[in-house]
Amino acid sequence: MEPRIGTWSPPSAFGEPAAGQEVILQLRNVSCGYETGRAAVSDISFSVRHGEVLCLLGPSGCGKTTILRAIAGFEPVTHGSISLSGQVVSSPNVLIPAEERHVGMVFQEYALFPHLRVGHNIAFGLRRVPRAQRNAVVEDLLKLIGLTGLERRYPHELSGGQQQRVALARALAPQPVLLLLDEPFSNLDPDMATRMRQDLHDLLKRTKTTAILVTHDHDEAFAMADRIAVLNHGRLEQFDVPEVIYHTPSTPFVADFVGHADFLPGMARGERICTEIGEFPNLKRLADGANVVVMIRPDDIHVVPDKTGNAHVVGRQFKGSENLYTVQLPSGQVLHSSEGSLHIFPVGTAVSLRILATHTVLFPTAENRDGPT
Amino acid sequence: MVTTLRRSLSSPLQWITLATTALLVSPVAYITFLAFHGNAAVWRRLWTTRLPELLWNTVALAMSVSALTFVVGFSLAWLVVRYEFPGRRIWEWALVLPLAMPTYVLAYVYAHLFGMGGPVDQWWHSVFGPDARTPAPQSFTGVSIIMALDTFPFVYLLARGALLTLNVSYEEVARVCGVPPWQTVWRVTLPLIRPAVVAGLALVVLYVISDFGAISLLRYQTLTYAVYQQMTGRYDQTAAGILSVLLVVMALLFLVMERWFRRRSRFYQTSGRYKTIQRRHCGPVGAWAITGLATLVCGIAFGLPAAMLLYWSVAAVDQGALDTRFIGFVWNSAFLSCMAASCAIVVGLPLAYLASRRPTRLNLACLQAAYAGYALPGPVAALAVLALFTAFVPFLYGSVVILIVAYVIHFLPAGLQSLEPAIQQVTPNLEEAGRTLGLRTRETLWLITLPLIRNGFVAGWVLMFLQTMKELPATLLLRPVGFDTLAIRVWLEASEEYYQLAAPSALLIVVLSLPALLLLVSRDWRTA
Repeated sequence: MEPRIGTWSPPSAFGEPAAGQEVILQLRNVSCGYETGRAAVSDISFSVRHGEVLCLLGPSGCGKTTILRAIAGFEPVTHGSISLSGQVVSSPNVLIPAEERHVGMVFQEYALFPHLRVGHNIAFGLRRVPRAQRNAVVEDLLKLIGLTGLERRYPHELSGGQQQRVALARALAPQPVLLLLDEPFSNLDPDMATRMRQDLHDLLKRTKTTAILVTHDHDEAFAMADRIAVLNHGRLEQFDVPEVIYHTPSTPFVADFVGHADFLPGMARGERICTEIGEFPNLKRLADGANVVVMIRPDDIHVVPDKTGNAHVVGRQFKGSENLYTVQLPSGQVLHSSEGSLHIFPVGTAVSLRILATHTVLFPTAENRDGPT
Repeated sequence: MVTTLRRSLSSPLQWITLATTALLVSPVAYITFLAFHGNAAVWRRLWTTRLPELLWNTVALAMSVSALTFVVGFSLAWLVVRYEFPGRRIWEWALVLPLAMPTYVLAYVYAHLFGMGGPVDQWWHSVFGPDARTPAPQSFTGVSIIMALDTFPFVYLLARGALLTLNVSYEEVARVCGVPPWQTVWRVTLPLIRPAVVAGLALVVLYVISDFGAISLLRYQTLTYAVYQQMTGRYDQTAAGILSVLLVVMALLFLVMERWFRRRSRFYQTSGRYKTIQRRHCGPVGAWAITGLATLVCGIAFGLPAAMLLYWSVAAVDQGALDTRFIGFVWNSAFLSCMAASCAIVVGLPLAYLASRRPTRLNLACLQAAYAGYALPGPVAALAVLALFTAFVPFLYGSVVILIVAYVIHFLPAGLQSLEPAIQQVTPNLEEAGRTLGLRTRETLWLITLPLIRNGFVAGWVLMFLQTMKELPATLLLRPVGFDTLAIRVWLEASEEYYQLAAPSALLIVVLSLPALLLLVSRDWRTA
C-alpha cells in the first residue's frame, strides 16, 4: 500500500482574486462586544475587492451575523475599524448610521414591508429619484429577477422564492457599493435553494455586485464564493479561496466543517510520516518521533476488495450518486471512503486501501496542539 | 454623525416614558401613603365596625359568582365545541353578547322587573297569593345571579379556546385505558384545560370585586361600594384610602394568579394538536335540549333585557326623551371617551415601543406599572387621582382634566393589550431594512413602524373609547358639576326608578359596546 502522493497548489486563476481591483471593504482587527442574543467576535481582519463575492462561513453562534450587522452599521465595534470605499465607517468612536453607508442588505426572513406592494417595496430606497426614472429602475429589476407583472402584488401573495428575489431587488435598487446577504437561502426548501443559489450567483456576477454572504452551509459557500472566511467562536479560522479551504484547511475545525474528514494518527520519521495505512511526506519538517494526525477526505481513499486485506467494510451509506463506506482498520481506527454508485461491497468484505491524496494536511495531536509544530 | 442614532432617539423617549409612568403610579402611591400615615384609630374603627362584613360580602360574592360562571361557562363551551347542532355557529357568537351589557344596565332591568309593583311581582302575587315574597334581585342570590349572567362569557371564551386546541388523543388514551366518558371529563379534560378555566375565573373575580354599577343599584355592600360611600357620604379620604388599599391588594392577588395560569396554559398547549376534534352529531332531542339551554342563558342575560330596553326606549321617545339635553349627554360621553382614548394612546405608545425594542429592566418595569391600572377598581382610581390633585394642583379639581387622567390610568391596560402585540409583531428587521435603504430614524418611524402598527392602534383606541363610554364610578365622583354622560344618566334615572327614562341611554351604550365586543372576540378567536 504505497500512497501516491503529490503536491497540490491552488489553480493560478484563483491566486489573488481580481487582483488590482479597488478594495471596497476593509476590516482591521475588528472586535464587537457581547450583547444578549449576539455572539461576540474578536480580532477579525479581511478585505473585499470590487465585484468579489465573499462568504462568511461558520456554525450558528460563531459571530458571522454579528460581523454582517457591524458592516451594515447596526452593531458598534469595540476595537479595530471598518472602512467602506476607503472611509472609516465604524471604529470605537465612529459609527456612521446605516442609512449613510450605501450598503444593501437582504435579511434572513427577507423583511419585505408587508404594507407595501412589490413595486413600492423595490422602489423604497429610491425616494429621492425622479418618478419616471424610479419606475424604469423597478421595471428593469423586475425583469432581472423574472417577476415582471407582479409589481401590484403584496408580499404575502408571493412564494418564498419570489419574496427572496424581491428582497434582493429592493436591496439592489439604490445601487449599493456592497450587498450583504444574511443566510438568504435558509428559509427555502432544498431544491428551491439550489436553483436560487445558481440564479443569485449569475445575477451578482452579471451586475458586478460586490457581496458578502453569511451561511452555515459549506456547499452554499463553495457554490457562491470567490473567497471564504471560516469563523468559529468569534475568531477567523481561515480566509482563502474555496479550493484551498477544502483541500488544505488550516485547522482541524475547518477540515471537519467544510466536508467529511477523518483524522489518522501518525508519527514523524525523517522525511516521512508513518501511519497505519502508509506513509505521507513530512511537509512540516517535524522532528523524529513527533506525533501528528493526517487529515484524509473520503474522496482521497479507494477501497479495493482484497482477501488478504486487513481492513474491513463495516458500513455502507447509499447516497444516490455515491456510496459512502465506513472501513475499520485492525487498530480499530475508522476511515470513510467515497465510491461510485455501482461499486457495492457487502458489509464484512475484506479490503485494502488505496490513497489518492494529491496533498497532505498535517495537524499536531491534541496533547501538543498548543506547542509549535 | 458620531453617536448612535438609536441612542439619540431613545433618550427623549426614555424621559417621556419615565414621566408618564410617574404620572400613572403616583396617585396609587399617594393613597397608599395616606392609608398608612393616617390615624391608627381609623384603622381600628374600620376593623371593629364595617371591615369584617365588607370583606365577607366581597369574598362570598366572588366565590358564588365563580361557581355559577364555572358551571354555565364550562358546560356551554363544552357543548359548542363537542357537539354539532343546527345554528351552532350563531350560538357560539351569541353566547358572548352578555359582555356588551354593562352590569348596571342588567341590574336596573331586573331590579325593575322583580321589584315591588313590577311585572314579575304582580304575576307572582296572582299565582302564589298576596303574601308570597318575590325572589329579590337585591338578595345575595339575586346579586350573584345577575353578576354571573354578565360575566360567564369570560369563562366560556377561555374554556372554548382551550377545548378547541386540546389534543384529543389524551381523551382517547383515557378511553382505551377503560375510563368511562363521564369520568374522562373530570379526570383528563378538565385538568388539562384547568389553566384556561382558572384564568377565566380570575377575570370574573376581578370584575366582581371591582364592580360598582350593579352593586350600587342593588345596594349590596362590598369593598368597592364602601369606598364610594366613604368618599361621598362621609368625605373620609383616609378611610376610603384604607379600603382601597385592601381592595387593590385583593385584586392584585387575583391578577397575579391569572397571569401565572396564563403562562402555564401556554406551556400546556405546546404539545400541539395531533388530531382535530370530531364534533358529535346529536339527534333531534339533544339538539333541542342544547338549543333550549343556550336560548335560556342568552335570553335572560341579553335578549330579555335588550328587548325591555327597546320597549321602554320607544315609550320614552314618545314622551319626548330625545331632546337637546339627551344630545348633550351623547356629546359629553363622546367628547370624554375621545379625549381619554387619544391621551391613552399617546401615553401608551412610547411605553409599549420601548418595552419591545429596548427591553431593559427599567422599560419593562414601566410597562408593568402601566398594567397595574387593571387592579384599580373605578372608585379607587377616582379616589387616587382626586386625593393627589386636591393636594397638589387643587385648581384642576372639578375640571375635565382630572377625569381624563383617571380614565387613562384605568383603561390604559386595555389599550396596551392591543398595542403591545402589534409592536412586537413588527420585527426590528423591517426597521433595519428601512435604514439600509437610506431612511433616517424619524422617517423609519413614519414610513414603516407606524403604518404597520396602525391596526393595533385603532383597535386599542376603539376599545378604550367604548370602555370609557360605559364607565360609571370615576365619572360619578370626578365629573364637573352638571356634566352628565350617558352612563351617569342611566345610573341616576335608574336609582330614582325612572326606568323608562334610563332606557334610551342604556340602549345606546349597549349598541355602542357591540363593536368593542366584536374586536375583543375576533382577537380571541384568532389566538384560539
